Order: sequence, then structure tokens, then C-alpha cells
Amino acid sequence: MATRTRLELIEKIEGEAQVLYEYEGERIGFAQIRFLSSRHIEKILEGRDPMDALSINPRVCGICGHAHLIATVRALEDCYEAIKISDKALKIREMTLSLELLQNHFKWFYLTILPLLDIEAPIERALEPSRLAGEMIALLAGQYPHNSYAIPGGITGEITPVDLLEFRHRLEQLKEIFRRYLIDVDLDYFVRCDRIEEMLGKKGDLPQAMRTILDLGWERMGQSLDRFIVFGESGFFISGKSTATRMRKHLDLRYLKEEKIQKSAARLVAYRGRAYETGPLARAMVMKTPLIKEAHRRYKDSLFSRILARVCEVPRLLRYLDETLQKLDLSQAAWIDPGPMPKEAKGTGVVEAARGSLIHQIEIEEGKIARYRIVTPTQWNLGNGSRDNLYPAQKALIGLHRNDPAELVFKAFDVCSVCTTK
Amino acid sequence: MMRLLWLSALACNGNAHALLNYPGFKVWQKEFEWLYHPLLPSEYSFKEVEKGMAEGCDVLLVDGTLEEGYVKYRRPYMELLEHYGKQAHHIVTVGTCATFGGIFAQGGKGRSGLHFRGDERLDIFKNFWQKSISLPGCPVQPEVLAGTLSLLKRKTDIPLDPLRRPKYYYAYTVHDGCIRNEYFEYKIDEHRFGRLEGCMFYDHGCQGTYTHGSCNKILWNGLGSKTRNGQPCMGCTEPDFPKENLWQTPKHMGIPARMPLGVPRRAYLSLAGIAKAFRIERFYTPLMKEE
Ligand code: SF4
Ligand code: SF4
Repeated sequence: MATRTRLELIEKIEGEAQVLYEYEGERIGFAQIRFLSSRHIEKILEGRDPMDALSINPRVCGICGHAHLIATVRALEDCYEAIKISDKALKIREMTLSLELLQNHFKWFYLTILPLLDIEAPIERALEPSRLAGEMIALLAGQYPHNSYAIPGGITGEITPVDLLEFRHRLEQLKEIFRRYLIDVDLDYFVRCDRIEEMLGKKGDLPQAMRTILDLGWERMGQSLDRFIVFGESGFFISGKSTATRMRKHLDLRYLKEEKIQKSAARLVAYRGRAYETGPLARAMVMKTPLIKEAHRRYKDSLFSRILARVCEVPRLLRYLDETLQKLDLSQAAWIDPGPMPKEAKGTGVVEAARGSLIHQIEIEEGKIARYRIVTPTQWNLGNGSRDNLYPAQKALIGLHRNDPAELVFKAFDVCSVCTTK
Repeated sequence: MMRLLWLSALACNGNAHALLNYPGFKVWQKEFEWLYHPLLPSEYSFKEVEKGMAEGCDVLLVDGTLEEGYVKYRRPYMELLEHYGKQAHHIVTVGTCATFGGIFAQGGKGRSGLHFRGDERLDIFKNFWQKSISLPGCPVQPEVLAGTLSLLKRKTDIPLDPLRRPKYYYAYTVHDGCIRNEYFEYKIDEHRFGRLEGCMFYDHGCQGTYTHGSCNKILWNGLGSKTRNGQPCMGCTEPDFPKENLWQTPKHMGIPARMPLGVPRRAYLSLAGIAKAFRIERFYTPLMKEE
């Protein structure tokens, strides 16, 4: 059978990617994913003072720059033999990080996914919660995007109860928005819910989107490797990997390997030589989120499960913010002087960003950054593997008919081009 | 309606996301139409933009660091700038990357802003100079971008500085309006992170006193700023951003090497001498301590 190829530009994904589809008859036989430019942030960091990484790295990405900041500070703190950070500072960092995830989820669902399902929703449904999340981050961190408030030893700002009043006020607004737009149910109820039909029967943009996918008969499309990995730990996420048969809690970063590939500015990444999917679906599988386990049982790791998993993080993150806020003890130190940065050291910082696990590794020599390495979630999900070593998005695309929604399958992974090419 | 076309080269999308946070966005947006925006629904797809189909652009927004030979899909990016730049009535460089080259200019050869590489003037788009406006910032404050476009829409005269930054936003320094100002005035050096008190000019690299921008006048997200929170200003609106050692103050004989904008070293030293002769207790006491 003759193969025909078609080059597609996928845009509005925090930059662009190109996919070269190879058709076998009417179906996609293979897909190459290319990211074409690179900004060389890792190189820009070399030779600089390690603290400069706190200022440069948020600029890896305009939508998840905060995750890059937190990964950076964790990598720097890992360079110290011993370092003390107050529980308050740790909690506040997790709060701002959670807010960045929320903002991502809203934008992705409303600006990327709904248009592909032909559902019209005012863009304010994405912008209003994003703006609120930005304000909440700014209350704790000065500004959003692109602050550098997390530094070795804690955070730069002294937060007062007045800041928290403003924060709580906006958190309540976010919860309202969740009910008003996404799904009209109580947060706690939704977090416990494990029945797809129940979710589908509610009012809101989420059930409408999921019903549309079912009506169109797309719910099984986009099935992929069915192997998931989560490196980041937090008060909210747990790390581990999950395959059809096994669940493993302990991961060792020494098994993480990166390699350069041709024709793409993105590098391939593997754990013990294998590709994995990372991101909200992976997190839900590892955490065993009831509703997502159920979706997976029915439709496997399809676009249905993937989209639902991402939006389902919204109520969970909101609840997590609530709980963390209640436990915050403002009398603790915001910053504990960790002393000078070691002159020779190595450190790793891992974080769960919106799209999955983000890993930063720094090597300091003679007080300067000698090497810096960033492994982003999109390198896992959108890796450009070969025919006998397919990466998640490739696997999900293969076999689709030319009338099938390939762009939706692709974007359900939430591509971030800028991160991928750093 | 004013028609906007947003093109990005090597960018992080931070400027685009920052704009979405503009509190007045919903109302502001009513007067503008996106021929292309990297996130928002737009009239044309990027493929169509590349083919030159996005006719009638009033303002071309250039975002991200330019790179010689950069191709996004099929057509050289510089050619696109040439094509749409000619049509546009105004060209706005959005953010420091598009204006001066910014961070990513340090990542490779042949990278720059539209008219500048750092503070060096470039010739390549010199026929666009007269209709260009620079809006540096990493990212640019949404109020500054939205506001400048609204002023253009109303045909308001905008005074510019020599780097073509609108004076309405860039005649101030970031130091103007910082709540740590008293500690600066009275030369209290003891700043510690995680505290409300203290100024970061002396030890922690704050560049607010010589950085042009409105960060402490038009607050970020309507409520904050780096320096208010306790992070040094990194000078992100300036041609030499990013310098090295951003968290330390370079010193010359124990005194900050770089002086506040326009202040002669001698004037600074005399004032500092006088200020330091007094020890004003209030500035050494935590603000929130109970009496
Ligand atoms: S911290 Fe920076 S902006 Fe604030 S008063 Fe000091 S020098 Fe000025
Ligand atoms: S405070 Fe300084 S570094 Fe921060 S955004 Fe403003 S000008 Fe840029």
C-alpha cells in the first residue's frame, strides 16, 4: 500500500509543533512530531551565578513558569548538605503552584478543548478564573507571571493576615466559578464521585463536553501506552508509576535518560529505557482517583479519560488550597538563612507541573552553574520516537482514520511547545 | 475596531498570558479584533497568516526574540515581519525579547530585538523605526500593552524616550512607589528576605532606582510587585537585561556601583553620609511588632 504524508502545523499550543502524518490507506500509520526552534535556556544558564537561575528559569514558559521556579529552588536547595525551610514557606509554595495548575486547566479546557468539540463558551470562562488565580499568586509572590519569590531557605515575602483575607475571598470566587461554569455540584461530592453517569447528568461545561465526546463516538480514541509515571511529590500528589499490571511507588532518577533526536529541537526521555505518559491522567492513575479509574476501566487511556482527568484536578486543587490555607501558621519564619550556596554541588528539583513531571538538575562548579538540565512533561508525552519505540502522543495518533479528530487526540495531551524546546 | 496581528518568534508566551490577566480585558477587548493571537480565537489561522492573507492589520505586535533564518512553518519569519510591517500603521514590540533581544538573545548568534541588540541600534528594519513603539518588560505589564493600544486607537500623542518607550509608562522608575522607599532614603542596609522591612538596593541587587517602568505605580495583577514582596527588581525593561549576579549588588568601595538614575555619585555619598549620621529607631523596629 502506498504511503502518503501530510505535514500539519499544530498551533496555539504555547508555540507550535509540526506533525508529519504518514497514511497507510485511510489511516495514520506513523506520526513524527517535531518542535523546530530552541531557545537554549540551559546554555544561557551556564557560567552564571546559581541564584540567577531563579530569575531566568520562569521564562522557560509563560503558562507554567512558576513550576519552573519551584523546580529551580528545589534543585538549588538540594545542593546544600542540610537546609531548613519552614513549614509555612513550603505550604505557601505549594499553594502558588496549585494555583498555576488551576489557571492552566481552565485555559486549556476552554481555549483548546471546547473549540475542538464545537462547543461555544465565552472566553471569560477561561480568563476570569485565570485572572483570579494570578491575583492569588501575586498576593503571596508579588506578581504573576514571572516572579522569583521562592529562594533557598523559603520565600521572599512576609505574608500578613490581610493578604490571606484577600486570598480567601478570591478562593471562594474560584469555587463559585467551578460550580457556575464547569459542573454544578458540591466540591466534596465531586471529589468522591466515582460514577460517570452521575457526572454526565449534571449541568455545566464539563458534562456537556464529555457527553459530546460520547455522542460523537470518540470516547475510545487516543488510546496510548497505558503506562504512567509521576515523579513529583507534594501534599497533594504522590509519585510512582503504574502499568496495566503493576504499581510501583519508588522511582530512581538515575534511570532517567535523555537523548538527542534528529529533526526536532526536543530531546527524547525515557525511564529504564521505556517511554511513559505523564500528566493529569498519570497522576490520577497513580493516586487512584475514583472517577478516573472508572473512566479508564471503560475507555482505557483514551482522550475521554485524559480530558476528564485534567478537569477533575480542579475541584481537588481547590479543596487542597482550602485545607492548606487553614493549616497555615503565619508566625513561622518566611525565610531561614541557609548560608552561602555551596561552591561545588549537584542538585535535583522535581515538581508536578500542569502537564506532568518537571525535573531540573543543576551542577555547580567553582561557584558557577557548570551544567543545567531541564526535562519537561511534554518531552515524555510528545516525544518523537521511532516506529518500534513509540511515544504517547504518537501511539495515540496511529490508527486514526483521516476523518477522526487527530488534532483533539494530540491536544488532549496538552502540548507545550515552548517548554519542550526550552 | 482596531485590527491586531500578533507574531511571536522565540518566546515563552508570557506576554500573551500576562495580557489575559488585564483586569479590564473584557471591556478593552471590545475595541479590538485579533487577526492573529497565539492563544485567543482569531480571524486567521497561522497558515493563512503565513500566506499573507491577514490583510488590513492596523497594529503589528512583535513578540519574542528574533533570530536570523528562523522559520515557523514554511516562510522565513523576517519576511513575514517585512510583509505585515509594511501594511501596519503601528508596530509595537511586546516585551523585552522583541525590543532588545532579552534573555533568549544570549542563547545563540544572530538573535536580537526588532530595532536593537541590547542598546545597539540595528538597521535591518530601519524603515519601520518611525512607526515603532517599544514596550519592554519580561513580561510587559498588561496595563502598559492594553493602554498603549487604546491610546493608539484614540490617536493620542504618545511622547517616547530615545528607546521609543512611551513616557506615560516608562518615565518613572520601578523605585517610584515601592513601599520600601523609607529604608532607601535613610540608607538602612539591613534587608533580610522574608521581611516587610528593608530595601534591597544595598545588598540584594535591586535595580529599581535605575529601571524605567511602572511596576510600583501600576501594580501587578492589580495588587503587587516584586520589590513590595521582597524580590529585587532585575531591570527587565532595560536593554542590558539580564545582567549577571541578579541577586547581589555590585559594589565599588563598599558602595553600590550603580547609582540611582541621574544621581551623581558625589551627591549620593553626601546624602548617604548625612542620612547615616542619624539612627532613627523606627526603621530598626519590625513594622508589625506590638507596642
Ligand atoms: S527595594 Fe528597590 S525599588 Fe524598593 S526602595 Fe529599595 S531600591 Fe527602591
Ligand atoms: S520589578 Fe523590575 S524586574 Fe520586576 S517586572 Fe518590574 S521592571 Fe521587571
